Amino acid sequence: MKSWKYIFAVLLLMLATVTIALFEVPDGNLHVIACNVGLGDAILITYGKTQILTDGGPDKSVLSCLGKYMPFWDRQVELVISTHPDADHSTGLTDVIRNYQIGEILINPIDPGTTVYEVLKKEVGGRGVPIINPQEGMRLGVGLMYLDILNPSVELYNKLIVKNMSDKMAKYQISRETNLYSIVYRLSFKNFSGFFPGDIPPEVSNRLSIESSVKGVDYIKIPHHGSVNGLTENLLKALMPKIAVISVGKNMWNFPRPEILDMLGKYGVKVFRTDEVGDVEVITDGTKYWVKSKKDS
Amino acid sequence: MTDKPPISKFISRVLVRNLTLIIFVSLLIVFRYFTTRPIYKNGDTVRITATILTDPVSYPGSQGLKVAGLTVYLPTFPEVSYGDGIVVEGIVDEGKLKNAKLISVSGNRSFGSFARNKIIFFYQKVLPQPMSGLTAGITLGSKGTLTSDFWNRVKFTGVAHVVVASGTNVTFVVSFLMGVLTLILPRKKAILFVIVGIILYLFLSGFDAPLVRAAIMAVLTFWAVETGRLVDAWRVLLLTGGIMLIIQPDWLGDIGFALSFVSTASIMLLEKRIAKWLRPVPGVLREGLSTSLAAQVGVAPILFVTFGRFNIWSPIINALVLWTIPYIMVLGSVGGVVGLMFPFLGKMILWLSYPLNWWFVKVVYLFG
Repeated sequence: MKSWKYIFAVLLLMLATVTIALFEVPDGNLHVIACNVGLGDAILITYGKTQILTDGGPDKSVLSCLGKYMPFWDRQVELVISTHPDADHSTGLTDVIRNYQIGEILINPIDPGTTVYEVLKKEVGGRGVPIINPQEGMRLGVGLMYLDILNPSVELYNKLIVKNMSDKMAKYQISRETNLYSIVYRLSFKNFSGFFPGDIPPEVSNRLSIESSVKGVDYIKIPHHGSVNGLTENLLKALMPKIAVISVGKNMWNFPRPEILDMLGKYGVKVFRTDEVGDVEVITDGTKYWVKSKKDS
Repeated sequence: MTDKPPISKFISRVLVRNLTLIIFVSLLIVFRYFTTRPIYKNGDTVRITATILTDPVSYPGSQGLKVAGLTVYLPTFPEVSYGDGIVVEGIVDEGKLKNAKLISVSGNRSFGSFARNKIIFFYQKVLPQPMSGLTAGITLGSKGTLTSDFWNRVKFTGVAHVVVASGTNVTFVVSFLMGVLTLILPRKKAILFVIVGIILYLFLSGFDAPLVRAAIMAVLTFWAVETGRLVDAWRVLLLTGGIMLIIQPDWLGDIGFALSFVSTASIMLLEKRIAKWLRPVPGVLREGLSTSLAAQVGVAPILFVTFGRFNIWSPIINALVLWTIPYIMVLGSVGGVVGLMFPFLGKMILWLSYPLNWWFVKVVYLFG
């Protein structure tokens, strides 16, 4: 019998699996990764074996990003945030829910009536993923990470038509201005902080800029892919970030707009764009932070 | 089996002995080909009712699929997938269906595609992307599970043929299993195991035409190789291929058909010779290596001409990754089936294939 050869082959494969697993054991740092998903947003925050995914991009390419930055045996994303129901932010979330175990989903109770949203709603409902609705002033703790929710405010919902108050994903009906309802949060991890504003329009930017809870941050995800219909100078002055990340791909509106890039240049903010460098990974131990990005790696 | 004539002499001998057969079959194929041309022409508005037999490819905002020989692009939603029955309408334009509209979709019907979707789902639950997509592609020919980014790299590097349900993967595995099982079992038992295994596999993969024809070709041919004389095996291959083309002349232009035919032929011609050179390599590994190397020699020219851009590194990339195919396929299908009943055990088996998937992905990313 030559069976020992087969046993040997299996042992060799086991050894290889374990070796790769050892290399994928997470370090003790926080990683904020803007995934290169083209025009759209998908931002993964990982700390140890805890992950927070904000938006899922326009297609399933977000899955490659999760596969790359999560250890292969970790099949759970602790928190998924869907900032608003636009297709370039939420289409990929459907695939994420199909492929991963989801701890909780933070999502607005607004139903835009699109097919993309309908499919997402079906996946969330069908799998019984616990739903949290955001509220201004809410604080979520995930491991050592804290998320302070800054938008949407309760008043915003009053403008909408009530659809079904018991449906946590469709309390209100919405047809346009979904950006207005973008979930905005401030992330804190020890001394590091980041600002994640979804696709907020200038009016929300300006409103947030005068709020006391909005203060200096290290990191900002530029709202609305660098559209002029997003970041305002007031908000930038209030936040004074060191690093700005623009999640953008080929588009017909000339995003990111020169006005926004000039504004960031004026305040000496270092800009990283996913269309130029691929995934943008910012790593922090809670005090120091550094950027790791490599074209197409 | 020990004394082999030079390859060129051998090929000409095969051709001469089968000359009448080849001429007769070719004539029949040509006749059938010209009498079964599709009746539509450019500019025609057509409505097509068909079952989707290849996996739709997902692009941002759209999905691409093939029905009735035409390429069709549809919006991402409603999603259509392998095995669905669909009705589409549009205008024929140079092999494409322009302004395509999806009239209706009906879900998967056969058990085969049901099991197939369950297994693909299990891969996605257990393995991260792009490894889960790769396993689904290699094992079940599911292109739709791949992310578009990885699919582009796979095309660019010239290894797309292993994940597009072209049937070459089946050819590999049949040859691989025949080789390995005849080492440890009596010949007749080994062949029986291979046939039963392949039928089970076809059942799971949903009887995709390229897989079925590759399986028939490979099983019959390698069976003849193992039991009888090599020259009989050639006649078997020519006959099977010929009969398939007489029944389905459209396959003449099907690259998957050409690939499975040529890879079967080239494994038959070269596998034993290559295995001889590889004697220092341990048994299990040698079987996978010699099979894939042999197939590659014949397949490479076709790939250069047809699969997208010409990539100068393609032969090297293929040589680096192809040996993993039989192992990924065997571990993938066993892991998938076991996983349906015992998820934990299935997961362990799939994890064994992780280093192989990892290697494949890393090589593709390095060159892509």
